[in-house]
This record gives sequence, structure tokens and C-alpha cells, in this order.
Amino acid sequence: MSGSRPVQSRIQGWVWIAALVAAIAMPWVFYNYHTGRHSGFVVSMLSQMGMMTILALSYNMLLGQAGLFSLCHATFFGIGGYATIHFLTLAGDGSLPLPLELFPLLAGLSGLGLAIVFGYMATKQRATAFAMITLGIGELMTTAALMFHHFFGGEGGVNSNRMIGHSLLGFKYGAAIQVYYLIVGWTVISALAMLYLTRTPLGRMANASRDNFERVQFMGYDPRMVRFLQFALSGFFAGIGGGLYAITYEIVTFDALAAPLSANALLMAYIGGTSAFGGPILGAVLITLLQSGVSLMSNSWLVYVGALFISMVIFAPNGIMGLIAAHDPIVRGGRFGRLIVPYAKVLVPGIVMVLGFIGLVELASFLTIGAAQGKTLVLFGTRIDDHAPLPWLSAGLCLVGGGLWFGREARSFRRVWQGLMAELQPKRSLA
Amino acid sequence: MTDTALSLCNVSKAFGQMQIIRGVNLDIKKGERHAIIGPNGAGKTTLFNLISGRFRLSSGEILLNGARVDHLPPHRINRMGLSRSFQITSIFHRLSVFENLRCALLWSMGYRYSFWTPLWRQRELNARTDLMLEQLNLASRRDTLAGLLSYADQRALEIGMTIAGGASVILLDEPTAGMSNTETDNAVELIRRVSKGKTLVMVEHDMKVVFDLADVITVLVYGQVIASGPPQAVRANPAVQEAYLGALAA
Repeated sequence: MSGSRPVQSRIQGWVWIAALVAAIAMPWVFYNYHTGRHSGFVVSMLSQMGMMTILALSYNMLLGQAGLFSLCHATFFGIGGYATIHFLTLAGDGSLPLPLELFPLLAGLSGLGLAIVFGYMATKQRATAFAMITLGIGELMTTAALMFHHFFGGEGGVNSNRMIGHSLLGFKYGAAIQVYYLIVGWTVISALAMLYLTRTPLGRMANASRDNFERVQFMGYDPRMVRFLQFALSGFFAGIGGGLYAITYEIVTFDALAAPLSANALLMAYIGGTSAFGGPILGAVLITLLQSGVSLMSNSWLVYVGALFISMVIFAPNGIMGLIAAHDPIVRGGRFGRLIVPYAKVLVPGIVMVLGFIGLVELASFLTIGAAQGKTLVLFGTRIDDHAPLPWLSAGLCLVGGGLWFGREARSFRRVWQGLMAELQPKRSLA
Repeated sequence: MTDTALSLCNVSKAFGQMQIIRGVNLDIKKGERHAIIGPNGAGKTTLFNLISGRFRLSSGEILLNGARVDHLPPHRINRMGLSRSFQITSIFHRLSVFENLRCALLWSMGYRYSFWTPLWRQRELNARTDLMLEQLNLASRRDTLAGLLSYADQRALEIGMTIAGGASVILLDEPTAGMSNTETDNAVELIRRVSKGKTLVMVEHDMKVVFDLADVITVLVYGQVIASGPPQAVRANPAVQEAYLGALAA
């Protein structure tokens, strides 16, 4: 076991580097060399992925690492955004002579400040009581954002201009692509800092108090202090994300601190996997893809996000990273090849089932929202009548039939899996 | 007074109308191995919870090395040199065995709440953790998740975590509960080894363990001390025989 550890961490290192290279190269993959322009859609989606990565990672400092179920994480993201807009305005007036690259740091400090105040209240409690307090804080802040016009700008929000003419690197930050690379830079810095935090005494004691807060007390630590510090620091990073949001969009409304964004943070961290450090990054990328990509194609994209979330909670509570990690002993035992055929057997009915589900959702959606918008459902160039029984019947058949078939294959897959695990068992205990 | 590690004066605890501990007076000397026995429901675990600060007293005083601790939260009492284990295994299930022990060492080595110190570069801390692993015979399980250890290994780990911080007074709550005979023998050996030079207070049901380890035995019945003294004297005490040992023999 100790022999394979360095190999594993080397692979992990390469995955990190590959992800970074992909993040840097991606805008150029979609670069239009005829017009000499970047794809605005791709750059803005990638920028969103960067901010959401920071948000999800900072949320996981609470949920995954400290076992704290917070419902107000967007508060600190949002306050970072609002503060940055005001800082930008100050800078535009010439009264804040700082380069733009450092503004996310100010945003982080704003997030930290607010997280210290709210964290002091919320971290008095843990578990359900903690979640309740954070729910209250989130609602309080949403209301405040609509009440205090001077700072939050009411429903219209506040706006400013990021071209303050001050830069460390000599950029003007007029073009979205320049802002994107600023986001990449801050995302890397924040992710590394949060990774570092997991390997410090505080980070470790946060894990410890997640597993067993009473034991922590009898080791000299005040679990409340551990919760408080972890909460404050996670607010700092969320604030950085919000700062980048403000720089990107140059406008911040109460959406940036309202409950749906807090729920998104939870969704991203959970779907990606809370027990691995990289899980929330994966979740942020995936959910952003769904949000920007699928939302263009379908009115009902939220249904798909919801279905994905529910199936993850039921079938893969450790998220995508948890699914990957479950394969670890099999890959190390060199038996992964034996899973390929069973996987293919599950995949086919799985696809049929999912297509059936999508068919029903889309038919329903075109029947209601689509009709109101005057749209018609067109598949492979043929117009499909959403009032006729045939499309409904075939979609329903795919869902039910595919589901039953999938269930059968899934059971035989489980048998293969358990057989492999049993084979590997004695080997592992010897090592 | 200075040779008393732990002193309980007239300690009482009531939950609502229920009087669980009724005026316990107890002095435990430094370096003593002290067993608290008594029938189920006598209040032994409650007494531990009071001493370690998990529950607040209803009345009375508790002194640790001469200083009052009965109003302090558990982590403050721990910092003053008292550590405890739990009846139900209490470890960090999702951390490795190594991390479990290292966490137990952190406070005593002055790391406090540091979020800037890289743990992997702390040579002395890591070396001491590895040394503890050796002492507990857990070195081969170093990187295993604590939740996946066998029950006996988990109990050994918990004892290790209890003593790791260097506390001078150790409370063990049924350290051998649920163990097989061989496992119990190993556990007794381990406890004897790691409690050397420390004050040990334990709640235990296994009489063999009690008479093997303890210098002094206190018998608690319905929240009151009915006898306290060397094993032979306690064994010979008619009140004890009636209330406890006799009930076992019958």
C-alpha cells in the first residue's frame, strides 16, 4: 500500500496540471481565427466556472471539512461583490490607488469581516441549530440588500467600471479574456491556499470536530473556536469569488447573495464530492456547464439539475469523486478490465432510461411553457406533435422499460463488483 | 494537599427530580491507579462526566491538582492536565490512525489553532506520533481509516489518544468493555504500560481487570460511595459484598 501512494499522488499532480492547462488553453480552442475574436459565450462560461470553483471550494471548507451545513454561504460571496463595486467606484474617482489585480483581496477581507460577525453567532451552535441560524442570516442579508439602498442599490443593484487604469501587469481589463485570466490566477491562488489550510492544525482539527466534536474537547480544543475560525476563513475565500464576480459583470444585485446561490454552492460541492478536495471543483465545472450549456437548449434544465442532485444523494452520497475513489482498490489490483463489459451493459439501458426521462420532461415542457412561447419541438429535422399520443407513449416506454432493464443489469453489475472486492480482500489485508 | 491529584468534595448531580450523584467525597492520590466499581446505574459514568466537565455539578467542588475545575468547560480542564476516554468508542472515524493520534498531540505541543503551520513539516510532532503508534502496536495500521479498524484496535487507539496529550490524570471509562479474554489481557498490559507515572481513574466491570490494575477501589452504589480502600479491604467489606460482589456471586 505504501508503495502505490507516491504513484497515486503523482497521478493527482498531473490531473491538477492538466486541469490548469485546460483552463488556460480553453478560450483558444473556441477562438474564431477568421474574425479574430474570442467566443463571448465560452469566455463568460469559463469565467463563471472560475468564480463558482472558489465558491464551491470555500463552501466545502464548511460542509465537507468541518461538517457544517451552512445555508448562507452566498452572503459572503455577495458582500465581496458589493464591496468591490464600491471599491471600484472609489478607484475610478482616484481615491483608491490600487491595481485591479488586488481588488479580489479587498473583497476577501470584506467577506472575512462579515463572516467574523455572523460566524460569531452561527458557530455558537453546531448541526441542525447551526443550519437554522445560517438560514436566518441568509434571509436577513437578502432583506437588508433590498432595504439599504445606499450600499446595496435596491433591486437594481450597484454598478461600476473595472477599467480603473491601474494594473500590476499593464492590462486595461477592457476585454473579457483579460478578466478571465485574472480569474484563473485568483482561482489557482485560492485553491492552493485552501488546500494548504487542510494540512494545518486548524484544518485537521476541523476534520476532527466534524467526526467527533466531543473528543476534540477532551484534547484541549474548543470545538466552537475551531468552527468559528473555519467559518471566518471560508467567508474570506467566498468574498474573493464575489470580488471576481463584480469585476466580471461590473454590476452586483441581490442575486449574488440570495438563497439560490447558497443552494448552488451546496449543490456543486455535493455533486462533485465533499470528501475529496477536488470534488467541489468538478461540481462547479459540471453545474456551470449545465447552467450555461443546457439552459440554452432546454427550458427545463433545472429539472435535470434537480434529478441529478436527487440521484446523487440516493445512489452516490460521496459525489462523483466518491464514485471514482471507490474504484481505487480495483484499479490498484489490476482488475479494472473486468469491469468494462459490465459497465457497457449498464450504460445501454441507462441511456435508454435517461432519454425516456428527457423525452417526457421536454414533451411536458413544450406542452406548457413552450406553447406559451410559441415554440415547437423539433427532433432530427422533424416536427414532433406534443399533443399526439405516440411521442408520449414511446418516451414513457423508454423510461419504464429502460428503467426495468437498467435495474436488472445494475444488480448483476453489483454482483460482479462485490465479487471483485471479495477477490481483492485477502490481498489488501496482507499489504 | 499537594499529593492529591483529584479531589471531590460533596459532589452532587440531579437531572430534574432524579438525584444521580448524592454527595460524593473522594481523594485520589498522585500516581494512584484507582478503580470505581458499582452496579449498573450507580452513576459511575455520570461521575466521570462531572469530573471531566461534560456535565455541570448541581453542588459541590472538584479540585484538580489543587485548583477548582468544576465550573470550567471540558477543553479548559483538559489543558490543566486531565484526559478521558469514553465508554462508547470515541475516535475520528474518517481520519487515519496516524491523524487521530497526531490530533491528540497538537494542543499539548503548542500548535493551538494555527492555520499557517504546515503539519507535514513538523518533524518532532510526526516523530512523536509515530512513536505513539509503535507503543500502541498500531504502526502497521498507520494509514488505515480509524473507522475501519477492528474493535480492539479502536479501543487501543482511543487509549492512545487519551494519554497522548501528556495529561497527568487519566480517566478511562470501561476500557475493556466488549473485548475477548486475550484482547482484555492485551488492553490491561497496554494500560499498565502507558499509565506509568500518571494518575489513573477507571470505571470497569471486569473484576479481573480491576483487581489486576487497581491500587485503590471505590464502590459506588446509588450515587454514594459505600466503600473505598485497597482491593483486599474492599473485598472483605460486608457492605460491598452485600451490595455488589455478593449480587454477582448469587
